[in-house]
Amino acid sequence: MAQTPSADVDRSRTQVAPSEQYNYDIVKKFAIMSIVWGVLGMGVGVWIASQLAFPFLNFDIPQITFGRFRPVHTTLVIFGFGGNALFATSYYIVQRTCQARLFGPKLAEFTFWGWNLAVALGVITYMLGYTQGREYAEFTWQIDLLITVVWVAYFLVYLMTLLRRSQPHIYVANWFFMAFILATAILHIFNNLAIPVSLFSLESYSLFSGVQDAMTQWWYGHNAVGFFLTAAFLGMMYYFVPKQAGRPIYSYRLSIVHFWALVFLYMWVGAHHLHWTALPDWVSTLAATFSILLLLPSWGGMINGVMTLSGAWHKLRTDPIMLFMITSLSFYGMATFEGPMMSLKSVNALSHYTDWTVGHVHSGALGWVAMITFGSLYHLIPRLWDTKLYSIRLVYVHFFLATIGIVLYITAMWVAGIGQGLMLRAFDEYGNLSYTFIETVVFLHQPYVVRALGGGLFLAGMLLMAYNIYKTVEPVRREAARQVASGRTETTASASRA
Amino acid sequence: MKHEIIETNAGLLIALTLVVISIGGLVEIVPLFYIDDTVEEVEGVRPYTPLELRGRDLYVREGCYTCHSQMIRPFRDEMLRYGHYSLAAESMYDHPFQWGSKRTGPDLARVGGKYSNDWHVRHLIDPRAVVPESIMPGYPWLARRDLRYDDIERRMRALRIAGVPYSLTEEEFAANVERFGEETARQLDIARARENLEAQARRGNYDGDPSRITEMDAMVAYLQMLGTLVDFTRYDEGYFVEFR
Amino acid sequence: MDLWYWITDLNNSKMVALLLFFSTFVGILIYLFSSRKRSERLESYRFIPFDDDEPDQKHQDGKHP
Repeated sequence: MAQTPSADVDRSRTQVAPSEQYNYDIVKKFAIMSIVWGVLGMGVGVWIASQLAFPFLNFDIPQITFGRFRPVHTTLVIFGFGGNALFATSYYIVQRTCQARLFGPKLAEFTFWGWNLAVALGVITYMLGYTQGREYAEFTWQIDLLITVVWVAYFLVYLMTLLRRSQPHIYVANWFFMAFILATAILHIFNNLAIPVSLFSLESYSLFSGVQDAMTQWWYGHNAVGFFLTAAFLGMMYYFVPKQAGRPIYSYRLSIVHFWALVFLYMWVGAHHLHWTALPDWVSTLAATFSILLLLPSWGGMINGVMTLSGAWHKLRTDPIMLFMITSLSFYGMATFEGPMMSLKSVNALSHYTDWTVGHVHSGALGWVAMITFGSLYHLIPRLWDTKLYSIRLVYVHFFLATIGIVLYITAMWVAGIGQGLMLRAFDEYGNLSYTFIETVVFLHQPYVVRALGGGLFLAGMLLMAYNIYKTVEPVRREAARQVASGRTETTASASRA
Repeated sequence: MKHEIIETNAGLLIALTLVVISIGGLVEIVPLFYIDDTVEEVEGVRPYTPLELRGRDLYVREGCYTCHSQMIRPFRDEMLRYGHYSLAAESMYDHPFQWGSKRTGPDLARVGGKYSNDWHVRHLIDPRAVVPESIMPGYPWLARRDLRYDDIERRMRALRIAGVPYSLTEEEFAANVERFGEETARQLDIARARENLEAQARRGNYDGDPSRITEMDAMVAYLQMLGTLVDFTRYDEGYFVEFR
Repeated sequence: MDLWYWITDLNNSKMVALLLFFSTFVGILIYLFSSRKRSERLESYRFIPFDDDEPDQKHQDGKHP
């Protein structure tokens, strides 16, 4: 492969403003879409959570019943909110750490429209009843093809920008983004192998069946968590936490161990979603073992992030953005402890199929993924538009709404999951089952109400953020529009004088 | 050897990352396709009939897998509640698999035959009319909509490519007779798909309305066959342990 | 050929793989943390994100409350 073109270039910086030196336009677009999808996706999330508490909310309308709406929620938040945030931050970070302008502006533009079209089409088709029936990979085969093309374009843009760098080293954040791009490509292609019903049909049947299909799907499913929702967001962490703290990352050597161990171990653990099923025992034992090992790099990464702030803890008192980032790392640490524990076969026997899993996912997704994204976007957006945040106070309010929301959410799900798990395996003194299934459903009602409430608080925080960002960006846009307009009148005036 | 060599060379970084992320998947997934006892053949397991297949399509369409599993684990409570634990062979024709990951409702791997057709129809139209505490959505449109099956042959052909033994040729049909018996082999013949589907819907009268074939017919036909293919009374307790 | 049979036995390959992975891991650790000079060199890359800071640090996190 190509060697660094300018390995010995001296680092004298060009004295142009970053907004001119770099392609910020594409970053802005992705950042805004991330917030748009985030609001929608979390809104749908609160809606389906309420459906579980109050089933009349399904209204007998096919398009919004829980079964069709749940993939809408997961797709919007993972690929809409998370995906756009990753595109935005990765395009920003790769430019800033390589001190090179983004390669291929047209190609980058294509990734924006292609990706968002895929998300929009996906959501519409699910509501119309077209799905592959694979969790987190419900997109029909045509959309899968579109995503594949977009992803190749993304890889090219990223790689070519790396090759343009005026900096011999590739900073660690970029390794994580690169691993995320590569792994997601492999996962997406192999998990979506399918035979279409016909060329014009949206429907298809997966190439694999039964055990092999289950294994492929959860290899995909867990690594979607591992690479899409973890590795890539760690890339975000490795850049924005040091920048916001104004201090370099705690240990570069730790980040080397962290990176290689994490990308190696994650690929092994998918089968822990299939404990006690018809999957051969050796696979699930292997997955459980590696899940435990995964605790080490996960915590290594967390420590690396948190310790970046060592000696500057007072920043937490004055900087809500830092608060978002450090809290996200704490939730990351918590979720990556809970995960290996739940992958133990004995714990899994209780937790699997219950809401404990749902709670675990959300402590990762809300606590880690969403919080680090909020922190990064609050850092990023004022810099993109070269302005100041409209209100720091609103960021504080957002932080507390989000945190309280998460705590309510996961506590409710612990109660629901562990409670239901215990009820389902309870026997009376004669050796009969103590509870029917429907009795456990009745028990779930209260936790479900609390969960919906927690989700509602989180959504409220998201809405505040959208408002704050709107008020931050809107004056800049108006000012720019005014300048363009006055510039134009000036030129026409001078032209008429001549 | 310095780590800097990797850090300053994008190509090497990519190549090494690819190697490192490939190992886990290769070791765990590839053997599943080659080790013979991953899926032990069990007598009675057969591909879906055309009507059941359409029912399964609807099950996927409505996202039933988001709340119902089809995988009974070998625990005392689950076996008392749902029946014999699931065998790998029982989902060998499932494209895609529908084991599920969450039981907001009960497991459905062996729901077939537990309730009457009439119960299923009323329950699907309005779950709370039958089980007052249920939180399941209603699916009244299944009973209203006519079942679309003009593309049933195409569906079976697609599945045939994926490895399901639906027969196109005489030889394949003969092989199916050998493997599943004459009656089942007829059901798996793509040329007879439509007449088979109509006949089964008429014979079963799943939705209680013999005048037309609705989506409800297909859905109930599918639910009623789930987990009924293997006759567990014929095997000793513990016989399947080695298959797990 | 004997070696091939020996290695394809799951019990043996398990141990070999474990040893291989673990020694690689330990090797990486030793490489990273053993030499002071190497450590200093590696740690110098921490500052890459700050290489392109704008000269004027008017920071944009808004008016603090």
